[in-house]
Parts: sequence; C-alpha cells; structure tokens
Amino acid sequence: MKNIYRRYKYIKTGYSIVLLLLLAIPAKIHAEELRKLVQLSGYWKFSIGDYQEWANPGFDDSKWDEIRVPGKWEDSGYDEYNGYAWYRTKFKMVETESKGMIYLLLGRIDDVNEVYLNGKLLGKSGDFPPKYRTAYNEKRKYQVPREYLNFDGNNSIAIRVYDSFLEGGIIDNPVGIYIDEDFTFLDFDLSGKWKFHLGDNKQWSKVDFDDESWSEIRVPSEWEQEGYTDYDGYAWYRKEFRLPSNLRNINDLYLVLGKIDDYDHVYLNGASIGNVFELKKDGEYKRRGFEYNARRIYKIPANVLKADGVNVIAIRVYDEMWRGGIYEGPVGIMTEDKCKEYRRKHYVNQTFWDYVLDEIAVE
Amino acid sequence: MRTVNRIKDMRWRSAHLILVIIGFMAINQSTIAADLIKVLDLKGDWKFSINVKDEWASTSFNDKSWETIKVPSPWEDQGFYGYNGFGYYRKSFTIQSSLKGKTIYMVMGYIDDVDETYLNGHKIGSSGSFPPFYNTAYNALRIYSIPEGIINYNGVNTVAVKVYDSYQQGGIVSGDVGLFTDRFALPLTINLQGNWKFKTGDDLARKAFAHDDSQWDDLIVPGKWEDQGYRDYDGYAWYRKTFVYNGNLPGEKIVLVLGKIDDVDQVYINGVFAGSTGEFSNSPGKWVDTGERYRAFRGYYIPASLLKKNQKNTIAIRVYDAGGDGGIYEGPIGFISQVDYINYWKERKGLVNNK
Repeated sequence: MKNIYRRYKYIKTGYSIVLLLLLAIPAKIHAEELRKLVQLSGYWKFSIGDYQEWANPGFDDSKWDEIRVPGKWEDSGYDEYNGYAWYRTKFKMVETESKGMIYLLLGRIDDVNEVYLNGKLLGKSGDFPPKYRTAYNEKRKYQVPREYLNFDGNNSIAIRVYDSFLEGGIIDNPVGIYIDEDFTFLDFDLSGKWKFHLGDNKQWSKVDFDDESWSEIRVPSEWEQEGYTDYDGYAWYRKEFRLPSNLRNINDLYLVLGKIDDYDHVYLNGASIGNVFELKKDGEYKRRGFEYNARRIYKIPANVLKADGVNVIAIRVYDEMWRGGIYEGPVGIMTEDKCKEYRRKHYVNQTFWDYVLDEIAVE
Repeated sequence: MRTVNRIKDMRWRSAHLILVIIGFMAINQSTIAADLIKVLDLKGDWKFSINVKDEWASTSFNDKSWETIKVPSPWEDQGFYGYNGFGYYRKSFTIQSSLKGKTIYMVMGYIDDVDETYLNGHKIGSSGSFPPFYNTAYNALRIYSIPEGIINYNGVNTVAVKVYDSYQQGGIVSGDVGLFTDRFALPLTINLQGNWKFKTGDDLARKAFAHDDSQWDDLIVPGKWEDQGYRDYDGYAWYRKTFVYNGNLPGEKIVLVLGKIDDVDQVYINGVFAGSTGEFSNSPGKWVDTGERYRAFRGYYIPASLLKKNQKNTIAIRVYDAGGDGGIYEGPIGFISQVDYINYWKERKGLVNNK
C-alpha cells in the first residue's frame, strides 16, 4: 500500500538491494502489532440469499452448506453466482488477562459486507445496493467491544456479503480474533465513538464549538472503513471526556493517539499541544515520509487539563492519499511510566533493518 | 415478408444455426447454461388441421378425423402446399412417473411464424404474436417450461399447438421436438423470455412506467441484438417489457434474473432503480468501465413491493455495449422467489460437483 509507494521516493539514492528488504517489511510490522487469539479460517456455514434474521445467533443454520474460508465462493460450487450471501460460524472465546483492544479480522471481502457478532452489528464495508459501492480492496478490521463477547460459551459471527461480479466472498487471510496489546499501556482509554467532520475550519479547535451535528466515527479505524471511501484531504475529530479521579493529581500525562495517516495537529481544551512535525524534532520519530507510521505521543502541558469538568480534544487531520485518519494503535491517556514502557516496546527494540531504513531516510 | 427480407432471414437463420452449434459446444464448459436431457421424443406423426377453434386446445377434443402430418416439417411438404394462415397440431403421450417433481421443458423446435402451445388445455408458452398485431418468431427455438400440476403422470397428456404462418414455409418446421429436463434449470415463476421492446440510443426518460414504447422495435430476449437486425451496433440501447403480475411470489424480497448482458446494465421496475452491473456515466458519450461484466450472471434481489399486483408492470433495462456482441444474450429471464433461488443454487452445487 502506501508504505511501498512512499519508499520508492528513496530509491533514487541507489539502494536497490535495500528495496527488496523494504518490500518485505510492511507485512512484518502488522504481524507484530496484533496477537492472534482465535483462528477462524476453516469451514463456515454458507447460504446465498439475504434475510436479516440470519444475523441472529439462534438462527438454525444446520441445513446450510459449508464452504472454505477464506476462498472465493466460485471455487466452492457457486461459480457464476453474483449477489447476496451469508456466512456464519461459531467460536469459543479464549480467556485473556490482557485489557488490549480486541479485533475481528476478516482479510478481504469481495465486494461489500456487514458483520454481526452475537447478533450485534460490528461494522460495515462498502455499500449495498441500491447505492452500491465496492470495498473489495479494503482491509477488514473491526473493533470488538468486550461486552459483545461471550467468554463462557459460544459466540456467533454472521457476515452479510454482496458481490457484484467476478469472484465473491471472504477471499483472503487473516481471518480471526486478534488483540492489540498496546492498549494495556493506557491508563485511560479514549478509543470508541468520536465526533467527525470532513473539511477544515479553525473554529473546530475551540472548546465551545458545538459539534452536535457532526457524525460519529470509531477511533481507531481507517476512515475508509467508516464510510469515507476514497476521501483524501482534511477532516477533524473531536472528543469530550472527564478525567478519571486516579489521574487528577498527576503532573506528567501523555495523550496517545495511536497512528494517524498522514498529518495531525492536536488541540486540548483549545490549546495546541502538538503536531506530527514536532514529534520529529523530539526525536521520537525520525523517518521522513513515514508520518503515517509514527506513534502519536503528546505530552500534555501543565494547566491544560481540567481535573473537574469536561475536557475537549480536537484533532485536525490531513490525509494525502489512500488510507486516512486515526487508524490504529492505543488512543487515550498514559502516565509517564506506562508511556515509557510503550515507547520502549516500539522504539528501543528496533531491528537492524529498521535502523538501516532510518539512515536511508535521512537525506 | 418481402423476398429481400427472406434472403436476409436465411442468412440469419444459418448464422443462428452456427450459433446454436457453438452454443452447444460452449455448454460443455459453461455450467450455468442449459444442460438439456431428452426424456421423451415427440417427433413423428402428429394430428393436424388448418383453421383454428378454441376447443381444439382441450384434452377431450376428438381429433381422429384430422390429417396425420410429420413433425418437424413445413406443412407445405405434407400436402398443404401454398397454405398460409392458421393451423393446429395435436399429439397425445404418456410420461413416466419417475419424472414427477422435476422441471420439464417442452421443446417445439422452430415454428414458422407464430405459435401458442397448450398442454392439457393450459397455455404453456407462446412466441411471436398473431394477427392483427402480427409479429414473427420463426428464428426462436421454442423451449417452454411446463408449470407444476399440468402434467398428468397417470394417464394421457395432450399437447396442442396453434400456429400462424404469414408467408412461404409454415408450421413446426425444424429442430428437436420433445420433453426435456434441464439439470441446471432455474425454476422461474414468471418467465419473461420472448419479445421485448427495444430501442437504441440513451435517454433516462425511458425508465418511466408510462414511457411510450409502442413505436419501438420488437426484439427476442435472450438473444444478442447483432442477430436481430442491429449488426455492428455498439453503444447504448434500452429494453422494455410490460407484463401483468398476478402476485404469486412469496416473501419480501424476490429475484429478477436477467441471465447475461453484454456489457453493462441498469434495471428499472416501474421507474424505480432495481439493480445494475457496472456503472454508467451521467454525462452521455463518456467512457464506461465494462471489464468482465459481460460474463456476469445477473440475479437482482428486489423488494417485492416494487411490483404492483394484478396490474401492469414495466421493466426497463438500460444497456451499454462497448464493442462486439451486445444486449441481453443469455437467459433465463424472469422472476423467482428468494426461497426458490436459494434452493436452486444449493442443488446446483451438487450437480456441478457430480458432473
């Protein structure tokens, strides 16, 4: 994706051998960040057609066909079929001590889908007819709220798929339940629903700005996955929160915003507390042209946070192309100790090749 | 028909024959296409009479005094030289009860020019239209699916075919005649194969229910337009079909099956958008992304509420062909309930695997 494109910029320096290594790295980065909890590839229940009650966990699918996931349905006896189909499966959740963020990954789905966990809608990619819009090249990654999961028994996944033409279905790995352990470093989790608006307006940084009419978006998540396919350009995120009592008298707090594609400027209670370019100067982040991959860790200046009352975060984001927004990683507040652990995990344990990359990137 | 047309027609007919051969060759590879298996041969001696009477369609009518005639063969070759006008064919047969539950097709070969086919007094299909709104269908192979409950598995069945010939050869002139099953038959509840209204060019006003298509051409669907007078035509065209819906499809959603369309299509039912494969540009004359869409089998899930019960309904299809063959070129064409559609694909999977 973008990684490869950006990296091409540095080839002019003539490091052609390194290119091959660069191409291999993006896949590695992803594997590191999520830990697999439940493998879901294998045989799933399958039926063409479209009934909303098929989302229900109690629906009896015993008479349904079974087909291999991942795999296009054309290869499982449904050659030439285009249109709606549902996939269903059950799984037992593993016990996990970790307070990390749980995700359902569904590889790639051709073309459009909605996914239900235990009857509750987790998310949607693309648009179903009549306003059909394919999302066949979007990565399927859905946040799983813990309260949706049944840790003691069976869990049901139901996926409604629409395919317009050519291959259809859940066609690529990874398919499974994963956990992002980085969320365990958070002392206060701010992921979830945020307010969101496309465009750019300085007024939107202000505390008293009324964002009531804005739409909601899940954070972290690529905005392409949230219904803003193909959108590049400016957008703003806003979130109101109250500081939990255990953090009220602590001086050194950090606002952590996962990773943002591409550039961000962060306001807390109307005051600018940092942007991605300043992160570079701090030494947290060295690779130029890799803004999308930098972890956002902003120290909260003294006297900006209100111990009592409502705090307002406003983030101006600019996306150059492809994926956009606050797209992954932990989002919330960390104390200095936790923040150090978080940094150590990602910035100290750099591999030799990460180091080489950094050196090349500095022109 | 004028002689010039006849010659042109002969050319089409031979072209059609070649296409049928190519089509049969293709069937072995393409699994959605019909895989017809003959279960009863009906070629040979039939009863025949010129003229037409309503009671001749009924099972009980006694046709003993009628002439015997060979089918298939032009009636001109069977003692009715120079006859143009109406004629009636009848034949009785029994059928093995092991076929019960299967969709049976009556194949009546090629009929010159127009026919209405009855089984045990029930009309099971027609092609072309009789005077005064005469319209030939001499180049369409007659394949009529027999609705459930019409076949008598315990006794005699009677097929009666009312034919009209306007000029030269007439009757059930060629092709295979008999009962067939299709391993891959999609059991449509409403079969819309046959004559549709057709007009080249593009105008979104044509989607409207009330749009006047009376001056449009007739085109047989399925069948590419190159075979039907639009040689070398590429670009936009519209199809329209008006039919009465008798409300016999259960469920909130039903499926409109449109077979295969070369290249992309946009479908309206009573003026309301109902489905599409491919995207159209809103500015006329702009490039349209067709890709591999001409190969896609179309089955559009639509709300049943789009159809008005016991009233006239209109399907309007906007088609864009980027080059080569164009139009709705492969069936089946019609409506099916969602339950039947789901069962069909499930059963078909078994058939494909056993092939």
